[in-house]
Amino acid sequence: MDDSTIVCKCEEINLAEIETAIKSGAHTFDDIKRLTRCGMGPCQAKVCSNLVRQIISESLDKPLSDIRPPRMRMPLKPTRISALVGDEESSSVISVFSESAPKEGDEDHV
Amino acid sequence: METDLLIVGGGPAGLHAAYVAASNGIKTIIVDESFSLGGQLRQQTQQLNNLPKQFGDQTGTALAQTLIERLTNLDVTVLLKHTMIGTYKDGRVGVSNGQNTIPIAAKKVIVATGAAEEAFVFPGWTLPGVMTAGAAQILMNREHVIPGKNALVIGSNDFALEVGKQLVENGVCLQGIVDNEVQLVGKKAETVHFLKEAGVPVYLDSFVKHASGSGEVEKVIISYNNTEEEMDIDLVCIGKGLTPILEPFEILNCDFTYEKELGGWLPQYSTMMETSTSSIYVAGNAAGITNLGPILLTAEIAAVSVAETLNGLSKEEANVKRELSWQELYRLESAESQNAFHARVNLMRSFQDNVDAQLTQLFNMFVGGV
Repeated sequence: MDDSTIVCKCEEINLAEIETAIKSGAHTFDDIKRLTRCGMGPCQAKVCSNLVRQIISESLDKPLSDIRPPRMRMPLKPTRISALVGDEESSSVISVFSESAPKEGDEDHV
Repeated sequence: METDLLIVGGGPAGLHAAYVAASNGIKTIIVDESFSLGGQLRQQTQQLNNLPKQFGDQTGTALAQTLIERLTNLDVTVLLKHTMIGTYKDGRVGVSNGQNTIPIAAKKVIVATGAAEEAFVFPGWTLPGVMTAGAAQILMNREHVIPGKNALVIGSNDFALEVGKQLVENGVCLQGIVDNEVQLVGKKAETVHFLKEAGVPVYLDSFVKHASGSGEVEKVIISYNNTEEEMDIDLVCIGKGLTPILEPFEILNCDFTYEKELGGWLPQYSTMMETSTSSIYVAGNAAGITNLGPILLTAEIAAVSVAETLNGLSKEEANVKRELSWQELYRLESAESQNAFHARVNLMRSFQDNVDAQLTQLFNMFVGGV
């Protein structure tokens, strides 16, 4: 591995950026996430979670059992806002989003 | 929607749990994000040994068929292309089909979301042509597409070796198996023998230094015996193991623990397979990376426990069934590796005070034997 090797594919964060974050005091996945956007792309850290934990473990000489996975949040998969709102006519959210909500036939580009 | 039991995940654990629960009169819904049931069994064309006795030996694809067909005539609703995306404040589970989000009110939930394949980093790993061993297997066995011409497999666990074998069988030139371990991780003699006969080079104590190419993988440099070897490669399969999928458990407020031998972080659970959140159960690889036998048996234990609490089974019946399942689980899991079962017991003991009392017979046998 060299410094330019990508670790988080979604946000294109490389090894050097993660190591710099650790040198700046980051010691959890979420610290690194806040400093670099690592793990904040479409896969939501599903691919890089354990890779980054491994790097933290090696850099700080801490066992993997001391390094928790990142905070996981809803929605668990990329979901259109229109799908979250649903088809309830009475929803106040839908009235706000109706103008910008994707129409039938619009393609996903998530 | 309302149901007694919601099962998240329609792979082997979810399907088997649905059968056991529904056969005991429990109204069940299975949600799965895919367009068909079976989960990872759908591309497992290889013969599976060490299944629970009732299943004999069969291929993964045949087993998927068996598990799906058994649900006919039972009170099981299957929602395909439906993904659990979250929960509501009142505990209902939110499931999305891409158009709408549907709340499901379930008395009990079994999360059987399985595992994800571990990624593995080296310079060039983001190039097209680098994929997990499981992805290569999906291409071959489900899509009937040859994933490449000249392949390299990284990792030597049983699954990585099996995929290596299937690549060879499909006419792919397997240029080598590379692992940083000093000996093969996989133990299945038959697969090792096949690869040896096929003349596949094995590079142990070695690693991929670099993969390169314009737009896709074309060359790979491996470091082997303090020398470097450059190979023409258009397919790199990463088979470095599995890790439990955790997202649904975090959303359901389940506590996690760490057990290396079970794949790393995973939800805590009791001998009933109930997590730290009441009424939320876990089954399959999400409860610790293991083989298909124990995957099915954890599902059985979870479903029996659900049936018991919803009065589909008496306490006595449930105890007998659970004890038999745990004994078979012990037998099948420890046949492959003592460590995984130890880790499981360790996990349950750290969570539940009375593990030993609950399964006296099994654990007397187990503690006495170790």
